[in-house]
Amino acid sequence: MENEIAQVKATAAPEGSDRRLRRLRDRLGPLLRQVVLLPLVLISRAIDPVMRLIQAKAGTGGMIAVFLIPNMAIFGIFVIIPIILNFVYSFTGGAEILLDQRAWVGGQQYERLTDCQNYLDPLSCREDLFWRAAHNTFFFVLFQVSLMVSVSMITALILNRNMAGRGFFRAVFFFPVLLSPVVVGLIWRWILQREGLLNLIVTNFGAERVVWLNDRFYAFAAAIGVSTWAHMGFFTLILLAGLQAIPKDLYEAAEMDATPPARVFWRITLPLLGPNLAVVLVLALIRGVQIFDEAYVLTGGGPGTATMFMTQYIYEVGFASLLRNPGLAAAASILMGAVLVVLTLMQLGLSRRAEKARER
Amino acid sequence: MSTILTFLTRRRGHGGRWHWTDVASWVWLIGGTVLMFGPALWLISSSLKDPAQLAEFPPTLLPYVQQTAAVEGHDTPLPLFTVTMEDGSTRDLAQVRRIGANAQMVDPGDPDAQISVRIADRTPVRDVGIAHGNYTDPFLHFDFFVYLRNSVFVTFFATILTLFTNSMAAFALSKYRFRGRDAVLLVIVGTLMVPLSVILVPLYSVVSRVGLLDSLWGVILPTIATPTGVFLLRQYMLTIPDDLLEAARMDHASEWQIYWRIILPLTAPALAVLAIFSVVWRWNDFLWPLVVLSRRELYTLQIGLNTYAGELNVQWHYILSMTVVTMIPVVLVFVFLQRFITTGIAGAGVK
Amino acid sequence: MGSITLKDIRKSFGGVHVIHGVDLTIEKGELVVFVGPSGCGKSTLLRLIAGLDKPSSGAIEIDGRDVTRAGAADRGLAMVFQSYALYPHMTVRQNLSFGLENTRMPRSEIAARVADAARMLEIEELLERRPTQLSGGQRQRVAIGRAIVRDPTAFLLDEPLSNLDAELRGTMRAELSALHDRLATTMIYVTHDQVEAMTLADRIVVLRKGRVEQVDTPLNLYNRPANRFVAGFIGAPNMNFFPAVAEGGQAALPGGVQVAVAASGPVSFGIRPQHLRLAAPGEAGIPARVTLVEALGAETVLHARSDGDTDVLVVLEGQPELQRGQELALAFDVEHLHAFDAQGQRID
Repeated sequence: MENEIAQVKATAAPEGSDRRLRRLRDRLGPLLRQVVLLPLVLISRAIDPVMRLIQAKAGTGGMIAVFLIPNMAIFGIFVIIPIILNFVYSFTGGAEILLDQRAWVGGQQYERLTDCQNYLDPLSCREDLFWRAAHNTFFFVLFQVSLMVSVSMITALILNRNMAGRGFFRAVFFFPVLLSPVVVGLIWRWILQREGLLNLIVTNFGAERVVWLNDRFYAFAAAIGVSTWAHMGFFTLILLAGLQAIPKDLYEAAEMDATPPARVFWRITLPLLGPNLAVVLVLALIRGVQIFDEAYVLTGGGPGTATMFMTQYIYEVGFASLLRNPGLAAAASILMGAVLVVLTLMQLGLSRRAEKARER
Repeated sequence: MSTILTFLTRRRGHGGRWHWTDVASWVWLIGGTVLMFGPALWLISSSLKDPAQLAEFPPTLLPYVQQTAAVEGHDTPLPLFTVTMEDGSTRDLAQVRRIGANAQMVDPGDPDAQISVRIADRTPVRDVGIAHGNYTDPFLHFDFFVYLRNSVFVTFFATILTLFTNSMAAFALSKYRFRGRDAVLLVIVGTLMVPLSVILVPLYSVVSRVGLLDSLWGVILPTIATPTGVFLLRQYMLTIPDDLLEAARMDHASEWQIYWRIILPLTAPALAVLAIFSVVWRWNDFLWPLVVLSRRELYTLQIGLNTYAGELNVQWHYILSMTVVTMIPVVLVFVFLQRFITTGIAGAGVK
Repeated sequence: MGSITLKDIRKSFGGVHVIHGVDLTIEKGELVVFVGPSGCGKSTLLRLIAGLDKPSSGAIEIDGRDVTRAGAADRGLAMVFQSYALYPHMTVRQNLSFGLENTRMPRSEIAARVADAARMLEIEELLERRPTQLSGGQRQRVAIGRAIVRDPTAFLLDEPLSNLDAELRGTMRAELSALHDRLATTMIYVTHDQVEAMTLADRIVVLRKGRVEQVDTPLNLYNRPANRFVAGFIGAPNMNFFPAVAEGGQAALPGGVQVAVAASGPVSFGIRPQHLRLAAPGEAGIPARVTLVEALGAETVLHARSDGDTDVLVVLEGQPELQRGQELALAFDVEHLHAFDAQGQRID
């Protein structure tokens, strides 16, 4: 008898406290929410009558304008106007930043940029730094994009194998994507320094210590490796999403046909992933052309000009260097912009095709 | 335990033996994990070391702190060393001072007898521990706290404004038909093609013309009208049935109320994704603040950190600890909100 | 209060004409059903009355006031949407009070109205739930409740029962009918389901391709359809039609039955399946051959083919023993015959 009562108590007690907790939560929850939402409610109380007045006076069309204006005004001032001004800048000369103090020089800046005896040899050019940056950027994009797309592809394929802990590993590869370029640059500068982790590993294998970032070749390779490290998670994610969109029954059908794995990859996975892969490729190209922050923090463009890329050139010619020439920077940025526009149009076309392919 | 083992060893096949691809996959994933997390962990571990240790080669994996001993007759605790005596035995001695290649040492148990030892014959007694001065000093002696405040300010207001302006524009572009809508959409798509680095010079002159140079608002305003945000939100709003808006209109709601009380609450998931994106973007921004801000007291963390890295080239212990602090918000986002971001990207294909 | 008048309402979407001049008067307290096949413009007409769309031309008056250009909120109407359009982020109570809050009604009044409506619709226990936690029928009630609390001049209901299963639809139909009796408010009800139309309506408006075909009470529509379309649309199964040629005030049906008709030239005769019966021995009838027998127990639906290859449906009471392929004659009473001229208009 006593036992039974004890049992009843034992089962009732947690329930009772549970209920009390729930009651507390039910009472506190709305209260908390009200405290959090109070500013929003007050704002809306203040805005509401104003908006009703506008709607009464200007109608729904007026409200559409009200909704669009903040965004579009900022767009206009900080994107559209600068785009137009950029062209104007590229036809002016001098070191002044403000446009009304600058002299019209016509196409001189473009002539200066393109004055070259041999485009393959930056030293033969009048603006050799520009061509050095262009060369560096070209080779950077070439190697970094191929490295990144293949590494991302392999990772996505592995993550798509329904292995244990897929969510965890997907997150792992995404972690560096969130880090700021400055943090990325500093982390790797620390690892690549003379007393750094990499030298510890290298000496363990009996090799000599190297000051990695003082070597033209290693510094360039480091820029490629570090930017791949920082961004591959993003591309892995897109490719993985593409892989997961491929219907499972196709693989089952292939299995029924006893298709060898390599053939499955080449004849099923790759063609169906094609549009996604193309988008990733072009996206990586676009980002690669703009490489700046992490490379700048990592190497500062050095040693010498070994890792000086296009955006750094524009930044330094436009703002930082002693021989400041904003017009030249503008002209260079327009040339880079032209490359980007071509790449972006490619991307838009490809993603539209990808969308159509998915609809089918 | 055995269930964990079976879980870990489960492969894509249905039981059976390990295929070489399974092995290769695990090697890749585990190697990747080390490569992805390792550098950040190495940074954290290094940031806890004192300057002497940072200069050492080979570096240790964990941070150590030299042991000290309170010795009678000395006000401050003295550093402890293990000394190899001339007879080959070893003793733990405290160092009183160093003179040239020799050090004057005492036995903590016998404070009166001083022993002179060549510095080559002693090694520090160390224990795992942290040099917390790396973390406290930057706040006390540098403007680190100011930079932190500036970064929080920029991130907070840029995100709030991004959410408002983008959601309003997305609402107008998704729920109304009006002349010029497609043109507006096209302009927004077009600007996706124009990254900051391309319009750096003229943007600078525009910002300076409107008087926002050397102001945190000059950092914030040009960044808030993100095309990505407008598209993300518009895409989401298109899935909200128009019936709801019409019901609200029948319910005497003004267009503003429809936006504020119907659309915004229903767009909450997409707003959350955009908010996370925006926080990460603005916290990490580098090039634009670098151009706009020239007064030190306005620097954001990223700029301040980069400047320190240039100026304090030898004082890595400060740079490393500040890097860790700069990384913290992003790590928090990663730990708690990673799922939102990854699904957001997989869904929209944007960053 | 609650009369609605439409004057020559026309509507086109980007050059496509959807409504071609509708004139209609709805008396106060009336329950009018718009019925017609999909694409007939019935929902568009409802949205024009609601103010969610504006007519291209014509005028709408509510209680004699011209509201053609007035916004949806200013017409004093309430609407129940086909999808219910309940605000998913608000509780049932918030859904009901949202519209009242917008009119700056005192809180006590809002609470009282919500309580009244909830009692009337028996959704009092659901007030703190969200729409996603409700069943289809419950959502339907909430959607109606949201309209009721507004105490509108008229209710507009856009296919409100189409998302419910058949059984629930029957119950809700009866409840809606009772609700209309109690509230005595004007209701305009759009449906494609003629059973709903017949059971609920005071008057039915039959629409086709943006035109009103006939406006009348349900039984008048059934008994005296104004044209062939209405005759075929109202009543289930569909009316049988036989083509004939009238000459000298007489026309012959298949099998030689002569019928008097006040026309000449091609005409058609319609007769409902329920009004055909097996001819008694010696009685004149339309000869036909049985192609399918569907015995439903209480009645038997006979599919047959008459001379001249016209398919005929017959609904017979009880369970007569018939075989596929059997030849028989179908008799009828002349007063059940509907005659239509070449343009499909009724001939009396």
